[in-house]
Amino acid sequence: MKFNKKDDGSYELDVTGYVCPHPQLYTLKCMDKLNEGMVMEVLIDNPSSVESITQACSGKGYTILDTNHPKAGVTAMKIQK
Amino acid sequence: MAEATSSSRNKVYALGVVGFLAILSILYYLSAPVYIYIIVYMWFGFIYGALQQYGRFCFASAWRDLIMVKVPRMFVGIMMGLMTLSIISAGLMVKYPSFYHPSPIGLHEVIGGLIFGLGMVFAGGCATGSLYKTGEGNMVSLVVLLSLSFSQAIFVASPIFDPIMDAIHATGPNSVKALTPDTWHWPQYLMTDKIFGIAEGQHATFIQNLIGNSLINTILIGMILLIGVYIVVVRKGFLKQRGAKMSQSADGGEVKMSLGDDVAGFWSMISASKRTTIAAVALGVVAAVQVFTMTWMRNDYNFGDAQGVGNFGLVYALNPDGSRRAVGDGASVGDWPAADPSQSTQPKYKVNPTNNKLEAIPGTGGNMFDPGYWYITTQEAMFAAWVMDKTLPESVTGNLKAPHYNTDTTYPKAIQEQLPPNQPENGNRYFGGAGIGNGNAIPSPWLSPALLLSIGLILGASFLSLWNREFKWKFPTKELALYAIGGGILMGIGSRIALGCNIGAFYTRAAFGSWGGWLFFFGMGAGAYISAKVVNYIANKKMTKQLEDMDFDIEL
Repeated sequence: MKFNKKDDGSYELDVTGYVCPHPQLYTLKCMDKLNEGMVMEVLIDNPSSVESITQACSGKGYTILDTNHPKAGVTAMKIQK
Repeated sequence: MAEATSSSRNKVYALGVVGFLAILSILYYLSAPVYIYIIVYMWFGFIYGALQQYGRFCFASAWRDLIMVKVPRMFVGIMMGLMTLSIISAGLMVKYPSFYHPSPIGLHEVIGGLIFGLGMVFAGGCATGSLYKTGEGNMVSLVVLLSLSFSQAIFVASPIFDPIMDAIHATGPNSVKALTPDTWHWPQYLMTDKIFGIAEGQHATFIQNLIGNSLINTILIGMILLIGVYIVVVRKGFLKQRGAKMSQSADGGEVKMSLGDDVAGFWSMISASKRTTIAAVALGVVAAVQVFTMTWMRNDYNFGDAQGVGNFGLVYALNPDGSRRAVGDGASVGDWPAADPSQSTQPKYKVNPTNNKLEAIPGTGGNMFDPGYWYITTQEAMFAAWVMDKTLPESVTGNLKAPHYNTDTTYPKAIQEQLPPNQPENGNRYFGGAGIGNGNAIPSPWLSPALLLSIGLILGASFLSLWNREFKWKFPTKELALYAIGGGILMGIGSRIALGCNIGAFYTRAAFGSWGGWLFFFGMGAGAYISAKVVNYIANKKMTKQLEDMDFDIEL
């Protein structure tokens, strides 16, 4: 798991290589650490985790700003707290 | 441009998977027309795999994500699929009254479910989830599958577990230990049979099946669970967000929540993941279609009857005089492969009380694991058993082919005394009650219909993930390998104790009216709760360690 600061108020979490439940677990734990308004981009290569994270964000009131696929099998989700 | 090229390449690979299966299908059919039965099993597996991949359908997620991240997506999906299959099966049970053999109900389902649930969270997927994820290129899931398969076979082969298993399997109203092939079907252990007092040999009507097996055993219990999940997990957050929005619209005025808001909340929970719900309902329909198809084919090819009793192993069975044995009029025997002594077993016999003569017990002899519906771990156990049987000495594997069934004290002595010499006992409870002896209980993998379903499932997921550019090779780190092996071992042991996994011991049991399926489900939940806590603890420690070394403007 790699958690890096990109710039002010913006972070990146790379959970590629992980299988359930680690991507969704680490994503939510890292989001918990952020302050309101901060943005985190998550890189995931586990499709079922993408589904769980999407729903978890909805439940917590986080906003998914963008979802794209930088390469085959990888999803990048930009989430704002 | 590069992305378009990659997308085209992936689509070619996806079509290559289909092409491979098509060639395999043709080769099987050319080998013997009756092998179309195996091919159809495989293609149903392909459809299951594609649907599961589409819907991200994994039973582990149902309990795990509910507990760990408060996401009810898969819990909802499973209930939707269960209800769908259950409603359709009410009709299937009228058309083919004996297609389903309810397993004995007992503590073994709770204990097996608990151990299975423990394992599936560590493994990152259930038994069928690990199959489809392997198809996505996830080699961690392949490690799970191998671990799950061989742990089952080692468990069955190890005599030290027999006394424990005999004790566990002796609990409940009907003991696994007392089962014989002609009593494997327990007519009173479906909800409909219990409620309406359906006696052995009688069959329930469609309405009775709908009320007992579908409405009460599945829909009612499923709805109670879904309402419970909504109240405990979803409601607070939903009403808070809804209240905030309504308050904004009311210019900050007071907002009172009503039952209508709860209905909206419940509906939003049900409809949150369209993908999962579509896959769930489709899986339920396909599972029902599979039952109909396999049962019809058995009858058509004369290794099954119109009631739904049948077994692919009969294709290899021999009568006492050495002739091929067919259930029907034998017209289709010409479509069967040549007699294969390695796959054949002699039938088992019982004394007919009317004429005091020995006669073959239906369904024995040429008896392989052929459920005719969606099943997963049992065929994988048999695959690993076959590998062990072929590669290890009998001093190690001997117990693999031992009866695990009907000891002298439970099997009628009068019948035993009249059996031909060296007549094996009545089969291996761990391998679907299949007969032992020369073959069938551990069939050659390429002749095991249920195993071909599992392979089809992997390839169905490969097809769809390649087509949608979601396929990615992923290899385990040391940490993930440990989780996979440990999780697979626990899942393997749990599934043999319960005589099935999340599909065979829960999904199909609960859908077809056996409340024992719910015993496994709740056992799974308890196990998942424990392992979720362990995984969460380890993740917290790991995160704290990593974040401590970093420079953030956030509080740790």
